[in-house]
Amino acid sequence: MTDFYQTGVITTLHQLGKPSLERLESELHGFAKVRPIALVLPALYSEFEGPAMPGIIKELAKVSYLNEIVLALDNASESDFQRVREMMAPIPTEVRIIHNKGKRITEVYETLARNGLDVGIQGKGRSAWLSYGYVLARGRSDVIALHDCDIVTYNRELLARLCYPIANPNLDYVFCKGFYSRVTNKMNGRVTRLLVTPLVRSLQQLVGPHKFLAFLDSFRYPLSGEFCMTTDLARVNRIPWDWGLEVGSLAEVHRNYSPRRVCQVDIATTYEHKHQILSPDDASKGLMKMAVDICKSVFRTLASEGVIFSDGLFKSLLVTYLRQAEDTLMKYEADAMINGLDFDRHEEAKAVETFTRSIAMAAQVFEENPMSTPLIPNWNRVIAAIPDIFEMLEAAVEEDSK
Amino acid sequence: MEDFLDLILDPLTTLFSKFKVFFPNFLAMLVILLVGILLAYIIKHSLVKFLTAIKFDSWSDRMGFTKLMRKGDMWGKPSTILGAIVFWLLIIVTLMSSMNALQIPVIDNLVHEFFSYIPRLFSAAIILIVGYVLSGFISRGVLIAAANSGFHYAKLLADAIQTLLIVLILAMVMEQLQIAPSIVLAAFTIIFGGIVIALAIAFGVGGIDAARRIIEKESLDRQKDETPDEIDHI
Repeated sequence: MTDFYQTGVITTLHQLGKPSLERLESELHGFAKVRPIALVLPALYSEFEGPAMPGIIKELAKVSYLNEIVLALDNASESDFQRVREMMAPIPTEVRIIHNKGKRITEVYETLARNGLDVGIQGKGRSAWLSYGYVLARGRSDVIALHDCDIVTYNRELLARLCYPIANPNLDYVFCKGFYSRVTNKMNGRVTRLLVTPLVRSLQQLVGPHKFLAFLDSFRYPLSGEFCMTTDLARVNRIPWDWGLEVGSLAEVHRNYSPRRVCQVDIATTYEHKHQILSPDDASKGLMKMAVDICKSVFRTLASEGVIFSDGLFKSLLVTYLRQAEDTLMKYEADAMINGLDFDRHEEAKAVETFTRSIAMAAQVFEENPMSTPLIPNWNRVIAAIPDIFEMLEAAVEEDSK
Repeated sequence: MEDFLDLILDPLTTLFSKFKVFFPNFLAMLVILLVGILLAYIIKHSLVKFLTAIKFDSWSDRMGFTKLMRKGDMWGKPSTILGAIVFWLLIIVTLMSSMNALQIPVIDNLVHEFFSYIPRLFSAAIILIVGYVLSGFISRGVLIAAANSGFHYAKLLADAIQTLLIVLILAMVMEQLQIAPSIVLAAFTIIFGGIVIALAIAFGVGGIDAARRIIEKESLDRQKDETPDEIDHI
């Protein structure tokens, strides 16, 4: 059980006591009549072959308040697509699958490209963005929830808690981010613990109080892939298609809405999913790549809000970050000790060194081209360029479903 | 014996003489066919390149032609599909011309009918394209006007108008192509007449109260105007 302390500029919804799942779900049933809920699942075919997706399907089969499920399937052949359809069949909610490698969806991407709309390369960002478009095209839901498809410890309570703050019309929230502790026999979530939080606090130290930094620092798990939002927000938000997806999305939420309308909710006591390799020597993959993309996204957001990044600032940032990260490391070591968790100090220090290099690389890329962070245009702009894109997207998914 | 030989050789001689007449025609047919296919291929490629250069695909995306294609489950680029249509039209024309070279009366008639049908095909295509663009334009105008005046079902109204216009255009196209004109005319009359009667009944029944109020208000106003001024003027 957590405490009930409210931190930062956004609302934190804790898990206090043992709230009944049945009560939550029955209330959601009522709310869903006024605000129908769509669930977006960006998935790779490999996740259906592992233990995660079959478990998620089993849990989703017990959920009855959802209006529709949109699965954006990547890295799947035609036969894989058919197999996924069969696997999703036990779910009672209407399921629509966006086959990202199918000829129809490929043509939709080509239509966007030839009209000057860069939607980036394959990945979670692009899949999520297209799924929002499909939900908007159908116009049947007012709320969109999204979670990853590699959660091994998935429980339908996660979904209920994630949807509740947005689906409840008495709470005036437009965006809700999930948080949880990533603990097994050790603490996971290295990028959040050792990069994002120390980086944000170092920047606060260097540039002084800043609204976006305060907003970002308010999230307990800013990189969590689970969130829920209104369809209005999905329409106006631009999202990055690289690893800066989570931070970039938060930046857009901060830009478009007041922090009073944003909350975070405790969605799980345990959360386990696939882990990325650190890849300290190769910036094109693993956590190193993720770290570079996140830093670029933070720098770009701050620059767009008027913060001037000079060579001196970047040099100071490296030193300040290193000090912050080392202090953080000591805090986590103490936390691990009292909870009897394994703590490999050497591995953690290696991660900090890798992240320091990532910041330097991101700074270099940013100085060379401050506009390099990719953002997918929002749906309002896409409709302005191609008025019939929603009909085309709907037709593509419907034909694939036959 | 000679008669018997003649009996055998005569048909062969006739066949050979006929073949002598037919063979150059056949060669001409093959040449026309080959040249036609080659030309069709070149024209198709040039056309696709030209359409790509003038950004025909983006134009189609904006004008709604791409949407129309997608609804018909055609998922290629509009320029490529138009190129393919032109290619196959040219192939059909080549085939007809090449068959004409054979100078067989039955085929001659068929070819003649085909070429006299082509102008109808063109005018039908033009009606279809212009009609579709116009229907989209009118539908969008209705949508904007209805939405701006606060009508709740603006999208539904715009879609209904576009559907009706497309039905009208399709009837015109079918009539132009002379495909079962009497059936098309009857079907169109029944559908459109039915819709108009349905609307008239709906408006008439639904508007009884509104009409009564208007008439009553009108007569009240008239009565007021006719009532003499009760104030005595000095």
